[in-house]
Amino acid sequence: MSSAAPEKGFSVRRLPGFGAVAVFTFAMLYLPIVILVFFSFNAGPSQAVWEGFSLQWYEAAFQNRQVRDVSLRSLGLALTAASIATVLATLAALGTTRVGRFPGQTMIYALINQPLMVPEIVTGIALLIFVAAIKVQTGYDGMGYLVAAHTAFCIPFAYLSIRARLETLDPALESAAADLYASPAQAFRYITLPLLVPGILAGFMLSFVISLDTVVITEFVKSAGQDTLPTYMLGQLRRGVTPEMNAIATLFLALSVMIVTAFFLITRTRGR
Amino acid sequence: MDARVQDAGIRGEIDIAGVNKVFGQGAAAFHALTDIDLTIATGEFFTLLGPSGCGKTTLLRVIAGFEQPTSGSLRINGAEVAGLGPNRRPVNTVFQSYALFPHMTVAQNIGFGLKMLGKSKREVEATTADMLRLVQMEALAERRPAEISGGQQQRVALARALAPRPRVLLLDEPLSALDLKLRKEMQGELKRLQAETGITFVFVTHDQEEALTMSDRVAVMSAGRILQMGAPTEIYNAPVNRFVADFIGETNFLVLPVASVNGATATLTLPGGKPATARLPDGMRPATGADVTAVIRPEQAAITGPEEAELTATVDGAVFFGTDTHLQLTLTDGQPFVLRRQNRPDQPPPATGEKLGLSLAPGALRVLED
Repeated sequence: MSSAAPEKGFSVRRLPGFGAVAVFTFAMLYLPIVILVFFSFNAGPSQAVWEGFSLQWYEAAFQNRQVRDVSLRSLGLALTAASIATVLATLAALGTTRVGRFPGQTMIYALINQPLMVPEIVTGIALLIFVAAIKVQTGYDGMGYLVAAHTAFCIPFAYLSIRARLETLDPALESAAADLYASPAQAFRYITLPLLVPGILAGFMLSFVISLDTVVITEFVKSAGQDTLPTYMLGQLRRGVTPEMNAIATLFLALSVMIVTAFFLITRTRGR
Repeated sequence: MDARVQDAGIRGEIDIAGVNKVFGQGAAAFHALTDIDLTIATGEFFTLLGPSGCGKTTLLRVIAGFEQPTSGSLRINGAEVAGLGPNRRPVNTVFQSYALFPHMTVAQNIGFGLKMLGKSKREVEATTADMLRLVQMEALAERRPAEISGGQQQRVALARALAPRPRVLLLDEPLSALDLKLRKEMQGELKRLQAETGITFVFVTHDQEEALTMSDRVAVMSAGRILQMGAPTEIYNAPVNRFVADFIGETNFLVLPVASVNGATATLTLPGGKPATARLPDGMRPATGADVTAVIRPEQAAITGPEEAELTATVDGAVFFGTDTHLQLTLTDGQPFVLRRQNRPDQPPPATGEKLGLSLAPGALRVLED
């Protein structure tokens, strides 16, 4: 369709400077990352002078106990928070699309998506005060706070992708299942759930990446010794940057890219 | 209401009595169905016919259990089912959109109902194979719905609904998405399947030709009510009111004065002064001299010589339809009249402006109630 675009009509591609703007935008987006990855393989300690290829900074990162600890904590936290968020978001999506219209539906929709609209720093400070109060009352200072905060933050991302999938499902499919003697539970088990899987998987992966990446909320909620990979890196940067950080960031990037790619493949091939 | 079935006290496959369906409440309430009384006999091909919004699909959904009636009784094979969900009624539906399960193969789609009924794996497989053969889809059993054509999807939807051997098969405009040729083919296919399975079919359509050609009986609906119910010939030849006469086929409406009333018939005065006998609806006795509306189908008049002519008309134009030609005429008093004449090589259509004599088939003229 685009290749056979007619001569008439507006086309942004024919505006003067289109090419320059596009190149500049992509350069700003990806050049810093390319440089970061490039210097992660530097043999010397500099971020500016190339001294030859080496994997020494990767070796250093792998041998750094702290890096291992915070990475495992980050992965565990992301896995837990994304799992809980996905389950809750699935239920919320079913509850808001499969029961017909009810008063306050738009309100609930807005409330579920609140974290998308409230500035993260506000959520962070609010959580800091809230969590501090609970800590004083209960004395508990485990990972529960981070799990809860991350879960809440991930729900709207999972909710939006599951709900989008649910809205593309023909309601007649569930009617057909009921017509063919399926109980409501069977209709869900054999029809709705399997057709929802791409949305659920996409929601889970999106949540996972979001949780893995969140700095602000973690920074405000974590107790002593609960650094995640992003907050640990932030802390290290204050003491000067070695290419070890580049190496960690590159690995982190690789993991994110893999997940996002999987996300696209799933939504593309199974979405139809 | 079909008095014949009611009076004989025959228990139908489906008995609907006093069913109303109201959507919404108060001022916003919408009466989708009003006082529906209906008995459908076992093995009958019964059609609900009407324009969109007439309530035919709502009635089908009430029978299927997707909607519950606001009031009234609905029995299937003698058992009251009002209040039961669709999964607890011995009824299956062919949906307008087919609603095939996209993540299952053709065979899995067909076997779904039996699986839900808890049939053994062997029985599910055997029946699925039978159904695939019945609709000639054996070769495509392992395909997904997205990988087969619209006509094939239609067959799968039929097989899926027939597989659990329902007492009643409900069909919601199942042929509306198919092109003309395929639709004709599927009409024949549906008749064959009904004859082979002996299952009662309740068919919803807005296509009057489809209703006439396929049904044992037709119920014509408008604005949530059943206006007339009967065999296709009855509906076509003796429409009870203007709506039915207008909706089914083409009709000439003539306003004519009554010369005399003699029991079930009246003598009307045609434009030009000649008398014509017309059947009166039950219980109607118009006053002599009053104007009544009479109907006659376009094919129930013929061109004749001036001696036998009951009517004289001027030709305004001719529309060629292949098998026949519709002549647009004006009667001597200015009323329009359409005449349908079969095309024959030895009878070229008359020229515009030509004057023709017409004769009416005996018994063709009927007085309408309104």
